[in-house]
Amino acid sequence: MPALVGFLWLISYWLIGEVVVHFTGLPVSSGVVGMLLLSITLALHGRVPGSIAAAAQPLIALLAMLIMPGVVGVFFILDELAGQWPAILCALVVGTLLSVTTTLWLLKRLMESQHAR
Amino acid sequence: MPASSPLDILSATPLFAVGLTLAAFLLGNLAFKRLKKPTWLPAILMAALLLAATLAVIGLPYERYREDARWLTILLGPATVALGMPLYQQLPHIRVLWRPITICLPIAASLAACYAVMIAWLLGSPPLILASLAAKSVTAPIAIGITEQIGGSVALLLGALLVTGVATAAFTGIAARLLKIEDERIIGFALGLNGHAIGTVRAFEIGPTAGAFASLGMSLTGIFTALLLPLAWRLIGVGG
Repeated sequence: MPALVGFLWLISYWLIGEVVVHFTGLPVSSGVVGMLLLSITLALHGRVPGSIAAAAQPLIALLAMLIMPGVVGVFFILDELAGQWPAILCALVVGTLLSVTTTLWLLKRLMESQHAR
Repeated sequence: MPASSPLDILSATPLFAVGLTLAAFLLGNLAFKRLKKPTWLPAILMAALLLAATLAVIGLPYERYREDARWLTILLGPATVALGMPLYQQLPHIRVLWRPITICLPIAASLAACYAVMIAWLLGSPPLILASLAAKSVTAPIAIGITEQIGGSVALLLGALLVTGVATAAFTGIAARLLKIEDERIIGFALGLNGHAIGTVRAFEIGPTAGAFASLGMSLTGIFTALLLPLAWRLIGVGG
């Protein structure tokens, strides 16, 4: 039963997010607003209630399954984007190589300058 | 009137699509464990290949499958909210290194999106593709929301997430060696920031510290990108 209580909390935060997004017109998804509100609530509360953990942990563990119906879709647009794939793959692979290197180098420099103080 | 085929009877209920998804997911995970968890072939990719092949063989149209699988995907909403819990649990790590992290995060997370979008743009990709690649380093549930906001294709985005995650897991170790970086916190943060959940799994293989910093990098990148990318997209007017 605690998991059900936690699940109701998660749904409520998502619904609050939906209302906030509707009235503010923020270009953010309801899930992200709900996530931020949940972490703020937890920070104010100072700990994670058992009911939230009981609902959140299994849901997070199932995330990969929840996105599967979407992932399968990529195999059905292979033809639609024929001719675009070399550019897409190049952008992803080279872009990732560049951004990984930038992140490593930048954080190393920043941490060194922190220690130097 | 021809007798209705077994497929018609089964696919009359959404439970068929839900069952297929669960079966493919479990089999994909089983195969992943049997193959000793290869980084270059994540469990979800194997499961998705299996599911796509099954749909093609039994002749169930993808649109129809996706519609029925909504019984599962509706849970993505509360699951995204649930990510607020690990985010809260990462707060102590931020306190230790808040200065380097608050400077590094906005620059690195913006570049993660910009590099790929710029390269695709230079190679002549249309706006739909640019919008689908922009959230490539963001964890899937958040990235789906971002991509819907800026008008990209969610299917292409999810493919891009897989390629990015695998590439990050492969490159980070090599790049760290070239830059002579041994600090697990830096390697972990880079894995999570660029490679979302797939990078974070790789970080936990390196060690718990790397894993914790990867989770932190993944959460912060997700929030930062979710808050700023749709706004930036609107300002630049990439979509037209």
